[in-house]
Amino acid sequence: MSPNAFYLLASLLFSIGLVGLVSRKNLFVLYMSIELMLSAVSLLLATLSKVLGEAGGSVISLLIIGVIASEAAVFLAMIINLYRSKKTLDSDRFNALREGARND
Amino acid sequence: MMMQFIYALPMAIVVLGAILLMLLSNSKITLNRLNLISVAILTLSLILQFVLFGEKESTYLFSSIFGNTFILDDFSAIFDVMFTLGAILTLLINNDYFKSREYFAGEYFSLILFSVFGMMILAHAHELVTTFIGLEIASLSIYALVAYHKTRTISTEAMMKYIVLGSMTGAFYMLGTALIYGAVGSTSFTEIAAYIHSHDLSNITVLIVGASFIMITIMFKIGAVPLHAWVLDVYHGAPYPITMFMASTFKIGIFAVALRLYLVMFAPINSFWSEILQVITILTLLGGSWLAINQTLVKRMLASSSIVHTGYLLIAISSIGLGSDLAAPAVMFYLIAYFLSSVGSFGILSFIASKKKKQMTYDDFKGFAQRRPYMAIMMSIFMLSLAGFPSTIGFLGKFYIFTAAIESGQILLAGLGIATAFISVYYYFKLIAMMYFYESDETQKKFPVGISTVLIVIISLIVIWGGIGTSLIPFVPGADGFMNFASQAISSLK
Repeated sequence: MSPNAFYLLASLLFSIGLVGLVSRKNLFVLYMSIELMLSAVSLLLATLSKVLGEAGGSVISLLIIGVIASEAAVFLAMIINLYRSKKTLDSDRFNALREGARND
Repeated sequence: MMMQFIYALPMAIVVLGAILLMLLSNSKITLNRLNLISVAILTLSLILQFVLFGEKESTYLFSSIFGNTFILDDFSAIFDVMFTLGAILTLLINNDYFKSREYFAGEYFSLILFSVFGMMILAHAHELVTTFIGLEIASLSIYALVAYHKTRTISTEAMMKYIVLGSMTGAFYMLGTALIYGAVGSTSFTEIAAYIHSHDLSNITVLIVGASFIMITIMFKIGAVPLHAWVLDVYHGAPYPITMFMASTFKIGIFAVALRLYLVMFAPINSFWSEILQVITILTLLGGSWLAINQTLVKRMLASSSIVHTGYLLIAISSIGLGSDLAAPAVMFYLIAYFLSSVGSFGILSFIASKKKKQMTYDDFKGFAQRRPYMAIMMSIFMLSLAGFPSTIGFLGKFYIFTAAIESGQILLAGLGIATAFISVYYYFKLIAMMYFYESDETQKKFPVGISTVLIVIISLIVIWGGIGTSLIPFVPGADGFMNFASQAISSLK
C-alpha cells in the first residue's frame, strides 16, 4: 500500500489540531487539539518507520505516547483547578494577568 | 563499565534525590529540613561534578545500552555545574520566601530537582528524541511549579498560557524530528551531521524544513520576539522562586541545546538561517525594549528585559554561523553574567516580597535606599550589571558579544545592540533613581543577616569581581580564564 495516503492523513490531522488550537476557546478542546497534533506526528513516524524498514520510528512513536500521557496528567489537573476558581472552561475568561494584577 | 557508572553518578544522584524528596514530601519533616536535604543532594552532585571534571575524554554514556544518545564532554559538564548551582542558589535565596507563604509544600523541592535532571539530559543529549524527553521533563516540572499557588487564579492562568503554547511547540518539535527522521533514517546528531555534509543544500529540503521546526521550538522556549507572548504573563503569574529559576537556570538549559544543535548538527546549513536569525534578533531587541519601557511592575520589567537579553544572546548565536570563533564562548559567558545578575535582582525582589505580600511597582521603591541602604546598593549593582555598565560582569558579557558580532561582520546588529543597551539604561536606572532620589518617612531598618541576604551579598561581590577582578587580583582566574575554559569546552564538541 502506498504511504502517500498515510502522509496525507497525518498532515490533515496535524492541520485540524493546529486550527482547533487557534480557533477554539474551550480548554478541553485545546487539550484535544494538542494531543491530535502529537498523535498525527506519531502516525507519521510509524509510517516512516515502515517505509524505511527500520524499527526506530515506531519506538519513537511509542515514546510520544508516553509523553502525551504525562502531559495529560498535568493538563487535566490544571483544567480542574481552573474550573474550581471560575466555574468555566472558556479560556477567554481567564484574563486577569495584566499590569494591574498586584495581589501576590 | 564501572567508570561509566561513576560518570553517571551526578545525574543519578539528582534524579534519585528527586524521587526520595517526592516520597518524603508528605511526611512530617519541616520545609526547612526538606530544603536542606535538597540542597545537600544538589551539593553532593556538584562536588562529584567537580571531581570528575576534566577526567574524561568525550565518551558516550553506556553506549551498549543507550546507543549513542548520551554524551559526556566538557561542554555538558560546564552546563551541569551551572544548572546545579542555579538550583542551589534558587533554593537557598528563597529560604525566607517560602516560609512566608503557606501554600508551599514538600513537592516544590522534588519538582525543582526533577527539572534540574531534565536540563541535565538536555545538555547531555546527543539525539533528537532524547532532547525532547529532557525538554519535556524540565518543562512539565516548571509548568507545575508556575501554578504552585493553587488558590490564586492568576498563577494557574499563567500556567494555562504556558502549557498550551509550550505543548503546541512541543508538537512542532516532534514534527521536525519526524521529518528529519524521514530524510536521514536516524535521529542521532552524528548521523544527521554526516548526512548534511554528504549532501548538497538543494537536495535536503525536507531536512531543512524539519530543522526549522526545531528552531521554532527553541525560539519559543527562549522567548524570542515573534514567539514571546507568554513570557511577561508567565513570569508575572509565577511565584518569585520559580520566576528566578525560569529566567536564569531554564534559559541556560535551552541555550545549551541550541548551542549544541548549532555547532554540531546544523553547522553546514547555518547559512540558510542567518538572515531569518538576524531578523528575529532585531525584532527581539526592539520588541523587548519596547515592552520593558512600558512596564510599571518591577517583575514584569525584569521579565521583558530578559527578552532583551535573549536578543543579545541571539546576536552571538547568529554570529556563530558566520564564522566567529569568539561567538560560542561569548554566549556561555553572557549566560553566566545574566544568570548572576538576574538571580541577584530576583533574589532581592523575593526578599522584599517575603515581608510585603504584593507585587512591587517602581513607586514602591521610592526611598528604598533610606529604609534599606545595603539592599539598595546591591540592587543598584545588579541593575548596573544588567544594563552593561563598565566594571560589572554584565559589561564584559556585552563586550564579548559585540566583539563577536563585529568579527563576523554584523555591524548592523552590533550597532543595534549598543543602541538597545542605551535604551535599557532608562528602565534600569529608573529603579535606581526611585531608590535614591526620594525621601522616605520610615526609619532605617537593620540589615537582616540570613542565608538569603548573605548569598545576595556574595553574588553582588562576584558581579563586581567578574567585571574588574581580572586585573585586580593576580593568580585568580577571572573573566579571561572562563573564556579560555569555554572555548576549550566548545572545541570538545563533536
